[in-house]
Amino acid sequence: MEIERVKEKIMEGRPGFPRQYGPQRVDHQPGIPLFPQEATRDFVTIFLLTAIMFFLSAFVTPFLGPARSPQLSELIVPDWYLLFSWGLLKVADIFPQFVLGKGTPLEANFNAAFWGDLLSGIPVIALLILPFLDRGRETRPAKAPIRSAVGLVGIASIFTSSLYSIREVVAQRWVSPNGAALIPDGTMKWFFIIPPALVGLTSYIALRRLAFMPMRRWLLPYVAGLTLLMAVQIAWIFITPGGLGAEAWPFVLPIGIALFILFAPMVVTTFVLFKQPDTVVRKVSTWAGGLGLVGFIAFTIVLPVVAGRAALGWVLSVLWPNMNTLVFFPLFGVLTAWLGTRRPYSTYEYLLNECYQCGKCHTVCPVTKVEDDALGGLNLVYNSFKKQHDGVPLWTCLACDACSAVCPLDIQYSDYILEERAKVHARMAADGGRKE
Amino acid sequence: MSTTGDIRKDTGRSVFGWIKSRFPTVPYADLTRVVLETDQRQLPRSHAEKYELKTIWYWYPLYCLGGIAFIAFIVLTITGILLGFFYVPDGRLEINASGDLTNPAWRSMLIIMNDIPFGFIIRGMHHWAAHIMIAAVFLHMCRVYFTGAYKKPRELNWLLGVVLLLLTLAFGYSGYLLPANNLSEGAANIGINMSRASPVIGDVLARLLFGDINTLSGVYILRFYWLHVFILPLIVTGLIVLHMGLVWLQGVAEPH
Repeated sequence: MEIERVKEKIMEGRPGFPRQYGPQRVDHQPGIPLFPQEATRDFVTIFLLTAIMFFLSAFVTPFLGPARSPQLSELIVPDWYLLFSWGLLKVADIFPQFVLGKGTPLEANFNAAFWGDLLSGIPVIALLILPFLDRGRETRPAKAPIRSAVGLVGIASIFTSSLYSIREVVAQRWVSPNGAALIPDGTMKWFFIIPPALVGLTSYIALRRLAFMPMRRWLLPYVAGLTLLMAVQIAWIFITPGGLGAEAWPFVLPIGIALFILFAPMVVTTFVLFKQPDTVVRKVSTWAGGLGLVGFIAFTIVLPVVAGRAALGWVLSVLWPNMNTLVFFPLFGVLTAWLGTRRPYSTYEYLLNECYQCGKCHTVCPVTKVEDDALGGLNLVYNSFKKQHDGVPLWTCLACDACSAVCPLDIQYSDYILEERAKVHARMAADGGRKE
Repeated sequence: MSTTGDIRKDTGRSVFGWIKSRFPTVPYADLTRVVLETDQRQLPRSHAEKYELKTIWYWYPLYCLGGIAFIAFIVLTITGILLGFFYVPDGRLEINASGDLTNPAWRSMLIIMNDIPFGFIIRGMHHWAAHIMIAAVFLHMCRVYFTGAYKKPRELNWLLGVVLLLLTLAFGYSGYLLPANNLSEGAANIGINMSRASPVIGDVLARLLFGDINTLSGVYILRFYWLHVFILPLIVTGLIVLHMGLVWLQGVAEPH
């Protein structure tokens, strides 16, 4: 056919034209095909989602309520996704309120509503300028600790701001035995700062530790500072005249026990942080945190049985108004001490995760030129990372470092090999020097 | 026109032939196919095919959140069209025979919930799909943030996404103003007060968005109905097409 010859002459082999095209195309398409594999997965997701919607609409009636009326009295709570903005609107009354240019056409009234508008604009502006602020190369969340910590701070702030928007509900529902709000307004205002800051610092320290940074210099001031602040708070409760209140004095023993359960793990953790190596801190903080948690839960279950419900009410009336210091500090302090001293699973597995399998290391590897197994497709780097082939790839490596030299991501593969071999030797030594 | 004598074959030929000769789609469809193939861009190709993936990252399950938001948007469109046949966007206050304060919008909601066949479930689907869509959009944004997918060259798509997030919240807000119940009244009051708090343009802004500087006249229902069913869908559909088109052109962001 003339047209076939023209096609071959003009199109095939030219850049931009595949040798086969159209439905006849048979060249290899690697990866998971769209159909039927990925399409099946997508349809399962779609059907499951639709089923959930049908289920919810069948069993949970959407709210309608009475018709609108200008004489609105009951508390209105907007949908959950707007609560953060409403919380910012409510907290805005802490800002100074004044009027600029009074009487002129450009009068600007800096009232709570205007401050609330401005506060709600802050997250929007932050999101808009984000890609122009963060121009770093790292994309993995664990490798960008500052970005990840800031993101978690944002999520924590959304939660605390949403919580503040329903402050009336909180004040009505949880009351201490003398009728006062269990979580007063001031405590909830501090929620805007304390929990997000704790979340941010803790996740930053934990993520840096994941990259094998020694985090003592961060941990010591952080955990010791939290312990110190907590000690000051406890001292203030017991020493100042109005700290505990006359009505709570009969319950000073259970209150003291509760504070001890919360404070003791912090003291122990801080002490070992100053004195002991990481392994000890890790173990002690695990035990202190675990025992503190179990002890506190057991205490709240046992106390009403032993001393009556009023006792628990008075204990909570001391703990909850100071929730930021007395509850969040020990929680985050012990958790951070554990996260900041824990041993990440393996040095080079963390770095080897960057590998995108370009295969350059395999091409230059001298072992693959002589070793029989290697000629049969053994890839020293990949197979030893995956702990395959009975350790042959691990022990045939010459540690010549040719692979690291060509690696586009600069992964020091021979360091990994030596570390893995050292681990095996350590295990053998621990077994008394005998072979495994 | 030649005939085969078989009426079944002739019908198809004559009818489609008549349409084809007046609306010649074939050359254009063929042209598209040729363009796609010469560019070696097969449509569709899965993410795993495109990047020759051999390993699965543990964050991949979260890569479906944008798709979930899109599916929810489709469900919202279908159920919204159905609800639109029965909803009356009139929030003016009136007193019924027994002396209670009602309005036509709220009464039409009662009719949808109690009298229209499947109206109850259609409104339920619209309600829950809206919640799922907003949650999915927010979680999708979190995924993009934590995997650093907004970095060069995807800054523009991130900005589009932020605008879409805000428009989705606007969809939600305008949607729950429509039933003209107590919640609608309270939320409209908050919205009007927030608009009026802007210096200088406050009242003008409130009149533009809500039709009035308070909720007495009930005209805010009509305003937000038209925003909810025409303006916002128009903008959001266009932006979603752009957003997904950019993802298709630039590829899914990989944590390399």
